[in-house]
Amino acid sequence: MNARSLRVPIAIVVCASLLALMPRLGLPAFYDSLFYLAFHWIVLATSWNILSGYAGYFSFGHGAFFGVGLYTTATLSGKLDWPFLATLPLAAAVPALLGVALGAVVFRVHRVRGELFALLTLAVTFVIATIVLNTRIDGGPGIYLNAVPVPAIGPTQSSTFFLLALAAATATMLIAWAVYVSKLGLGLFAIHDDEDAAEVMGVPTYGYKLAAFAISCALAGLAGGIHALFISYVTAGEVFSITVPLTVVLMSVLGGTRHWAGPAIGATAITALLYFSTAGDHAVLGKAAVGAILVAAILFMPEGILERVQRALRKRSARGPATTRAPAETSLASEPAAPAAAEVLVRPDDVLLRARNLGKSFSGLRALQGVDVDVRAGEILGLIGPNGSGKSTFINVVSGHYAATTGDVVLDGRKLTGLPAHRIARAGVARTYQIPRPFRHLSVRDNVAVTALFGHARVRTRAQADAEAMKWLAFAGLEAKADAHPDDLNLHQRKFLELARALASRPRLVLLDEVLCGLTPTEMNDAVALIRRIRDQGATIVFVEHVMHAVLALTDRIVVFNQGELLAQGRAEQVMREPAVLTAYLGRAHA
Amino acid sequence: MLEVRDLDVAYGAAPALWNVSLDVRRGELLCVVGPNGAGKTTLINTIAGLNRARGGRLSIDGIDLTRLAPHRFCGCGIAIVPEGRRLFTHMTVRENLELGSFVASARAYRQASLDGVLQLFPALNARLQSRAGELSGGQQQMVAIARALMARPKLLLLDEPSLGLSPAIVEDMFDAIRRINADGMTVMLVEQNVAMALDVSSRAYVLEEGRIVAEGEPRELAARPEIRRAYLGL
Amino acid sequence: MTWPSLTLLSQSILSGIFVGSLYGLLGLGLGLSWGLLRLINLAHFAFAFLAAYLCYQLASGGRMDPLLTLVIIVPAFFALGAALHWLMTRFALTPFNSLLLTFGVTGIVEALIQTIWTADFRRLESHYAHEKFRIGALFVPVPELITLVLAVALSLGVWAVLRYTDLGKALRAAAEDAPVAAAFGVDQRMHGIVLAGTCSALAAVAGVCLALTFTLAPSQIYAWIGVVFAAVMIGGLGSALGPLLGGVLIGVSEAITMAVTAPSWAPIVSFTLLILILLFRPGKA
Repeated sequence: MNARSLRVPIAIVVCASLLALMPRLGLPAFYDSLFYLAFHWIVLATSWNILSGYAGYFSFGHGAFFGVGLYTTATLSGKLDWPFLATLPLAAAVPALLGVALGAVVFRVHRVRGELFALLTLAVTFVIATIVLNTRIDGGPGIYLNAVPVPAIGPTQSSTFFLLALAAATATMLIAWAVYVSKLGLGLFAIHDDEDAAEVMGVPTYGYKLAAFAISCALAGLAGGIHALFISYVTAGEVFSITVPLTVVLMSVLGGTRHWAGPAIGATAITALLYFSTAGDHAVLGKAAVGAILVAAILFMPEGILERVQRALRKRSARGPATTRAPAETSLASEPAAPAAAEVLVRPDDVLLRARNLGKSFSGLRALQGVDVDVRAGEILGLIGPNGSGKSTFINVVSGHYAATTGDVVLDGRKLTGLPAHRIARAGVARTYQIPRPFRHLSVRDNVAVTALFGHARVRTRAQADAEAMKWLAFAGLEAKADAHPDDLNLHQRKFLELARALASRPRLVLLDEVLCGLTPTEMNDAVALIRRIRDQGATIVFVEHVMHAVLALTDRIVVFNQGELLAQGRAEQVMREPAVLTAYLGRAHA
Repeated sequence: MLEVRDLDVAYGAAPALWNVSLDVRRGELLCVVGPNGAGKTTLINTIAGLNRARGGRLSIDGIDLTRLAPHRFCGCGIAIVPEGRRLFTHMTVRENLELGSFVASARAYRQASLDGVLQLFPALNARLQSRAGELSGGQQQMVAIARALMARPKLLLLDEPSLGLSPAIVEDMFDAIRRINADGMTVMLVEQNVAMALDVSSRAYVLEEGRIVAEGEPRELAARPEIRRAYLGL
Repeated sequence: MTWPSLTLLSQSILSGIFVGSLYGLLGLGLGLSWGLLRLINLAHFAFAFLAAYLCYQLASGGRMDPLLTLVIIVPAFFALGAALHWLMTRFALTPFNSLLLTFGVTGIVEALIQTIWTADFRRLESHYAHEKFRIGALFVPVPELITLVLAVALSLGVWAVLRYTDLGKALRAAAEDAPVAAAFGVDQRMHGIVLAGTCSALAAVAGVCLALTFTLAPSQIYAWIGVVFAAVMIGGLGSALGPLLGGVLIGVSEAITMAVTAPSWAPIVSFTLLILILLFRPGKA
């Protein structure tokens, strides 16, 4: 995704301009209508995809916002005699506001994702339909728009609709592309893969989902407004039927939901198919064909046409000479210039992070029981303890993955507890996960670019983020794999990706959660060397581990947790001899 | 009784066990110790049928288990107490126990088995109708062990039974395991809590980073410096 | 808003109970599939309608007693449901993709119905249709009563199987933790196929009840989706009695709304309830 290239928007505008010449050819009105429908569905499917495809919140309620836009135009021009074109901005704005209001409530509820979100949006459609039907907006008989004058944009009436829909489709495609290559787009795709991890990496998930929803609803409303005049007689039953939501899902899934152009491809294909079947007496067969295509698509091509094609192309280019050189060779042999150090110098007496009485309970189970921990600037602090002692919970609370039940965390004078996780990331806290959680559908480079863009480093543009990402991948020895996907990496590489991702945000505090677990001895040595270099850069590290020789070799101090409480702290060699610690680890002191 | 030869198991793309070979002899209490991430859970899950091996052989009393479908392992005489208990939390304790004897071979003896486990863990009598999710950690562990016993297995597998339990309860639990073994049940357990495990078993293997690195009697192993180094770094 | 007479209100509530029991019967199979198999089967509705049309055909064209058609229809749909499930498990579909795929199947079945029986409204004229009897001031139509009896009987039957039999316990265990259930001998694949077949068979029974009590049209398939999903979610996924209770709750609320305001306001009840449940019920699904 090369953001600097404007080839795509230029191409879109050129195509649109060429198509705009079609009415002058004097073809029969049938073609105007056919193309109108294609453009109409391109707008609907592409706009749906901006929230549902990019962020993964599949909505079954697109019909509601389409319908609201449609009724806005119908009411304003059909009942209140507004000029048609003047209603279109409102046809876009009203559904957008409605979407924001709905999203503001729904996106706060953590559980409502996936199929629950789909059902909820479907329910919203029927609620709105009932309200429209029963109040003065429609009231039952529908709204007639035959008296509304059609603006003379094209030589004939049908060509006017052609041009209006073309304009809407062009605008929609441009917007979809712009979002796709922007910071918003990267954030949305990160949300799709792992919303909780995205939030912890600094993506403002709530705000971004609302933005995508608003854009999506506005464009659907616009399509609705135009459509109101096209069909000229509007009834609630027809408008709010299940057809719109299900058709846009089908079109986008078929074309590919992870790409800005996927829905447009699906929309064109399905429109052509439906039209050619309704052309004859085969309307019913058309419906069956659409159903059959959806079934086949889900079974054999769940990622869509576009993704299949892209993957085939990628496989061909990845078969190049890029083999995995062991990072040990690159890092020891060539010592790549490490990116500029973070501003924190080693200040062993300065407390960077202070946790006081930090506690976390999960419905009665007290995982963490009021611990007090000081992390000094520039040190490597080890955090050890048996399984279930609260180490991971501590990391999860400090990074904002969980909200603390009691107590406080203060980073350099700034209180972190109570902040949403993405703000904590912005403040300079980064973490890795014990079982790596990369964004599976993003490239390795994009994975690292996410934290560069959204984390403490505050990189501005996608292009700069890409450059930063490459630097950190080189630091971790993964630059050859920049275009690969996380699934193509082995465990060791994925752990290093976690590290690169954490570092790209230039954090002041790095929380490492069992980063050595599962690695072979050679890989472990590489990791230990890398961690040392991270500290030499000026970052402060909290290091949860079980591998004792690494703990002894790397840490300045250690803290021992047991059953949610702080058991001991101090220098590693001393603490490991304390009787209480031996008991906690071994159950009984061993001579 | 149980034979494991050259077992190769992977988790997705990442290899977890390399060329693991071990034997479990009838009537013994065998334990496998090793640090976190060594592959102990992978090993015991493979023996129970929860994981598929990529290579090697697994057999019990001559029956080849390597290519068997997961739901057939229980019928061959293997029952597991999984890591973290993994009870059916929405079902009652009694239902969990009844499900333990789901296999045809155990179903016939359900009532007798139930009486047996309630003698072993009398505290469960009062909680039979409670939902399993409401019990404390120690009680859940008792239910998990009882559930496995209901299957009337030849080999009882325990995966980190001390996990997340307070030291006092861990003592009680290991007493129960000792009693179960004394009654004639062959037991294999994996543990991170080395002292307890070596205390209770008759033979032990040490697993490190996916490979068996040592084998022998517990006392002899505990005296070895490499064991102490692996666990305490001293 | 005029407050209706007591008789009218009681009659409304009674008809709410009847239609609610049909919601519950439709929801029974849907909820079991979603709760125990983690598959959302939109085609459930299409199957119910297909069964309804088949009943209509056999009763009108073939002169069979509508209730007797159950003997043919139920086993046929059991096989159909089992086959569809086998297909879905072979491809390891996620719950969301199962929603999409079954929507595709719905389109195919709808088109099939429309091809054979056209889009015209069809009403099954059976000797049950005109029978009713009185309890005090209230009328109890026989087709609706049959629906209620079947709904209650089947719900109780499924509940008993889930609660008391080994099979039921195995299904519930596998729904919570399939690998551990397998370690104790539960063959989830085989159970899944049987369960899916049962859910389709339940849809078929609901279809026959539909044919007895309602006018059929292919477009009507979608009208029931929202209401039945609401009943299932209110009652709880994987529960046997839940959808019935949820359905009756919705049916009665709708009936009261219709009696007090206007019939066209009825849909808002179930959908608003569904939205509220989704937002506020803790730990759902």
